[in-house]
Amino acid sequence: MFLAMLYAFLWLVVRALVRDLRSAAREPTIELGRLVVTASPSGEPAPGTAFALDAITSLGRDVNNSIVLDDEFVSTTHAALTYRGRAWYVEDLGSTNGTFVNGSQVDGLSPLAFGDEVQIGQVRLRLERARA
Amino acid sequence: MTAAPAAGGMRATGREGARFRVTPRLRGRELLLLSVVAVALVLGSVSLGATRLLRSALLNGGSPPDDLVVLAGQGLLTIYIVALFLVHAALVLAGRRTDQILLPTMGLLGGIGLLLMIRLPQDLAGRFGGLAQTQLLWLVIGLTIVTVLAVAVRNDVWLRRYKYTWAAVGVGLLLLTFVLGRDINGARLSVTIGPFSGQPSELLKVILVVFLAGYLSENRPLLVEESTKVGPFRLPPLPYLAPMVAMWAIALGIVIVQRDLGAALLFFAVFLLLLYVSTARFSFVVLGLAAFVLGAGLLYFVFDHVRTRIDIWVDPFADPSGAGYQVVQALHAFARGGLIGTGLGAGLPSVGGQPPIPALHTDFPFAALGEELGLVGILAVLGLYLVLVQRGLRIASAAQDEFRAILAAGLSLVIGVQAFIIAAGNLKLIPLTGITLPFVSYGGSSLLANAVIVGLLIALSERTREPLPPPRRPGRIRRLLDRGAA
Repeated sequence: MFLAMLYAFLWLVVRALVRDLRSAAREPTIELGRLVVTASPSGEPAPGTAFALDAITSLGRDVNNSIVLDDEFVSTTHAALTYRGRAWYVEDLGSTNGTFVNGSQVDGLSPLAFGDEVQIGQVRLRLERARA
Repeated sequence: MTAAPAAGGMRATGREGARFRVTPRLRGRELLLLSVVAVALVLGSVSLGATRLLRSALLNGGSPPDDLVVLAGQGLLTIYIVALFLVHAALVLAGRRTDQILLPTMGLLGGIGLLLMIRLPQDLAGRFGGLAQTQLLWLVIGLTIVTVLAVAVRNDVWLRRYKYTWAAVGVGLLLLTFVLGRDINGARLSVTIGPFSGQPSELLKVILVVFLAGYLSENRPLLVEESTKVGPFRLPPLPYLAPMVAMWAIALGIVIVQRDLGAALLFFAVFLLLLYVSTARFSFVVLGLAAFVLGAGLLYFVFDHVRTRIDIWVDPFADPSGAGYQVVQALHAFARGGLIGTGLGAGLPSVGGQPPIPALHTDFPFAALGEELGLVGILAVLGLYLVLVQRGLRIASAAQDEFRAILAAGLSLVIGVQAFIIAAGNLKLIPLTGITLPFVSYGGSSLLANAVIVGLLIALSERTREPLPPPRRPGRIRRLLDRGAA
C-alpha cells in the first residue's frame, strides 16, 4: 500500500514535470513582437525588413543599437522600445527630430499597440504581433 | 512635459509596492502532491503499527508492544504532516510563483526517514527524547528554514557579491569546529555550538556551491579561453583556475584530516560537475578524473583508513564479523528485501535489542529501506532524488543569469550526488563512505543543510516573466482621448 502511494506520488510528479517541460519547449519560440520597416528612403534597412524584438530594443544610427537605422535624420541613440507588463511602450531618448507614433509626436514614454506605426527620422516602422 | 518624470516616479513606487504587496496565490499542484504524501505517510504508519502489533502478538503471546511505534508514532507523524501543510500555507500566503514540486518531494523523503526513525530502537541516538522525537524536531526546524528562505529570499546579491566571504566563513567554521572538537569533548561541543557541531562539512557543501557559482559565473569567459597547454589538453589561464583549486584543496585537505571521505568525494564530484556545467568543456572532466584517480591511488597507499575502506569494498566477506560487518549485513538486508520487501516494520531482526547495523540511522537507511520496501521501493526513493535533481536543472535552465543557473544546478546536484554516493556505498557499488542520505538519514546538520538547499532552490525558481512592471495604466478612454488630442 505504502509502495503504491509512493508510485502514485512519483506518477503525479512525473506527469507534472513532463507538462512543465512541454510548455517550456513551446515558450522560447514566442517572440514578444516584430517591427516591420514600411518606409525607408535611405534603403538601410530595406523596406519590408522585419526585426524580432527583445524586451528592450534600442533604435538609432549608432552601431551599438539593437536596430540600426542608417538615416541622416535619425539620432545616434534615438528611441527605445520596451515591453513592460503585457504591453509595448516607446520612449524617445532625447532625439533631435523626435519620435512619432501614428503621426503624433511622442512625449516621454508612450504606449504602443500592435499595428501602430512609429516614425523615426524618415524611417517608418510598424509594430506587429509575432508570428505564431 | 510632466509625463516623463511622472512615469519615472510611478515606476519607482510601483516597484516598491510590488515588493511589499502580498497577494496570496494558490498552489494547487503542491496541495495535491502534499495530500498524496500525507496519505502515503499515514498508510505507512498504519502498516507499520499493524506489523508491529502482529509481531509482538506472535512473540510475546498477546501483550501489546511497549515501543514507540504504537504509542506515539502516529502523534509524531501527525505533527510532521501538519508542519508540511503549514509550510504550504505560508508559501500560498507569500504568493510567489515558485516551484511546487520540491516541497512535496522533500516532504515525502523526510517522512520516509521519520517512519524509519519511529520503528528503530529509540536509544540509538537523540538529544531531545528518543531518536524519532529528535528527528522530528530537526525536520520541523528544517521546514522552517525552507519556508523562511522560500518566502524571504528575493535577491541573490548577498550570495553573489560576498563569495570569498562565504568561502572564508565555510573554511573558518570548519577549522573552528575542528579545533573546538579537539579541545572540548564531543558531548559538550554538541551542546554549546548546537547543530553545526555534528558535521560542518554538511553546511560547507552549500557554501562551496555558492562560491563556485559566484566564481564560475564571473570568470566563465576566461575559463573557456584556451591559453595554457598541458600535453594534449588546452587549459584556461592558470591564475584564474587558482582560487577554485585552492578552495577545493582546502576543503579536501580538511576533510581528509577529519577522515570524512564521503564529503571529500562529494565536494570533488560537485566541483567537477559545476566546472563542466559552466564551461561545457569535457577536457576539464577528463583532467579532473585523472587527478581523482591519481589522488585516490595516493590516498590508498598513504592513509590507513582509506586502504581499509577499499579493502572492505573489494572483499567484505574476508572479515564478515569484523571490518566487513556492516557492509555484509547491508547486503544481507537487501537480499532479505528482495523485489517488494518484507513490509514496513517487518525487517531487520534485531540482535540483542539492537539492529544488526550499528550506524543504520545515519549511514545505512538505504539498506533498511531496501529490506522493508524491496527493490521496487528503493527505486522509487531513487526516483524521488532524480525528481529533485531534475527540478534543480530545470530551474537552472530557466534562470535569468549565469550565477543563478550555476547555483541552482549545483545545489540540486549536491543532493543528487550525495544520495548516489551513500546509496552506491550501501549497495557495495563503490567503497562505503560515511555520509548521510539526504532528508532520510538521522542527523541535524544534514537535515538543516539540505533544507537550506531546498529553500534556496524554491526561492530561485520564482518565475519573473515580466521583468519590468507597467509604468502606468491609462484607462482605455483616456488613451483614446490622448491620441485624439495629439
